[in-house]
Amino acid sequence: MTPKNNIIIGIIIALLVVASYNVEANPIEFIEGLPNLGIVLEEMLLVELKHIPTALWAMLETIQMAFIGTIVGVAIALPLSLLAARNLNSKYVYAPIRALLAAIRTFPSILWAILFVIMVGLGPFAGVLAIIMYTVGFVAKLQYEAIETIDADPMDAVSSIGVSKWQLIRYVVIPESASHLLGQVLYMFDYNVRQTSILGLVGAGGIGFYIINYIKFFEYGKAAIFMVVVLITVLIIDWASVKIRDRYIVKSQHGMEVTTKPK
Amino acid sequence: MKQIQMTNTSFFSLISTRKIIQMNDVSTSYDSKNFALDHVNLSIDRGTNYAIVGQSGSGKSTLLKLMNGMMIPSNGTIKIDYTTPNMKDKKFKKMMHVIGYIPQNLGLIKNLTVLENVLIGSLPRLGKIQSMFKKFPEDEISEAKKIIKQVGLSGKEDRKAYMLSGGEKRRVAIARAFMQKPTILLADEIVSELDHVTAREIMDLIADAQKRINLTAIMVHHDMQLALEYANRVAVIKEGHKVLEIGVEGDKIVDFQTGDMTTEEIMEMYSDDSKK
Repeated sequence: MTPKNNIIIGIIIALLVVASYNVEANPIEFIEGLPNLGIVLEEMLLVELKHIPTALWAMLETIQMAFIGTIVGVAIALPLSLLAARNLNSKYVYAPIRALLAAIRTFPSILWAILFVIMVGLGPFAGVLAIIMYTVGFVAKLQYEAIETIDADPMDAVSSIGVSKWQLIRYVVIPESASHLLGQVLYMFDYNVRQTSILGLVGAGGIGFYIINYIKFFEYGKAAIFMVVVLITVLIIDWASVKIRDRYIVKSQHGMEVTTKPK
Repeated sequence: MKQIQMTNTSFFSLISTRKIIQMNDVSTSYDSKNFALDHVNLSIDRGTNYAIVGQSGSGKSTLLKLMNGMMIPSNGTIKIDYTTPNMKDKKFKKMMHVIGYIPQNLGLIKNLTVLENVLIGSLPRLGKIQSMFKKFPEDEISEAKKIIKQVGLSGKEDRKAYMLSGGEKRRVAIARAFMQKPTILLADEIVSELDHVTAREIMDLIADAQKRINLTAIMVHHDMQLALEYANRVAVIKEGHKVLEIGVEGDKIVDFQTGDMTTEEIMEMYSDDSKK
């Protein structure tokens, strides 16, 4: 450890202490509050299995909301990302598009949900719209960054043939960034399922609507059933994402041989 | 290794009347301080197999980028078939499809198949709607398959580019360039990482194509022996300057004495490479 490193670590610790004081983050209060968690957990164990079908149905609604939100969001994000990429456009095109995307990303999905609940009323549709907006903001950003990191060689080699800009996009940009896009779609869907689960907090449908209402009425046992369903669903989606990533992304990016038929 | 016979041959007696590439007093730089190329003159005949040899960072790749209009010189003039190369110029853009360019890392689209990569060479001949929906005409597809066979990749048309070996990838890049029906081929160290046998197989492919069509090949190498084996003429670039230009006629090497160094000095300089 050099003296410079020690100073940096010292500054970080000092900032941590100051920030904790300002936000009244007191570890003692946390330790004193632990028994309350015990009470909640005890009540959560009083699960009522008859609510499982309702929980599964609500989860299905949540997945459908996340699915629509992800697909429509990505479909809108793709052309925007092409316009926002610095290596494809002049600054007069990419700068306003980037500003628009930054504005969309400023609001978390829960704020979009409140806005859409006001616009279209309570229910899953408001949640879907919120998820679309959130997905557009993030996927477009991740995708234009992926486009900007495409190898210069394929771009140079194909541009030098004298192809049009759209041919360059169709035959180099889209295939070269496709593996990134698939990764982002999987990540966004996984994230949107979790996001959609809490949009019920503001009345925007999904399984979160049940969870928040049961918690409000101190029915932790019922809430627990719905939370376990969310947990299992997220784990399944995570497992499926890993499999899809291994099959289509990791191997194509590292040039590994892909077995086309199962052994 | 070819026998070196120093002959004081007149420069003008050896060149044909038709120049396809002319570079006069060309300089260019990546930053304001250092020149990547400094007052370089090159004159290349149609149908020549021209080699540019030099060490890393000598400015060889920059020369190729100037020839295909990806870079613009800060000083001097370049003419490719009487046209100034500039990717943004409409007149030059119309002739870009006849200039095949293979960058050092080949520039293949790794997620496309061999056939799709080769068909990219025909894109300038394809309509907007057809190219948007990947609807290549049957005659282009059969031409691409014929070229794939010529480069020795028959049966691998549907393989994704990332699945191929280093030698196979080079064959695809060459096939893509051939699909353009080029009159000029610019290739940047495409055999430098290959073993001796594969490197010669790839070089033979290009030499064969030169015999079939009147192709002018400008190839960058760092291996002098390979350059002398295949090229009609070799220019040696050192730190942005052309230090020598030699002609190769059968077993004879003709020093054109157009640079600052003699052939013997160059051979000594590249003796390690030539032993490979």
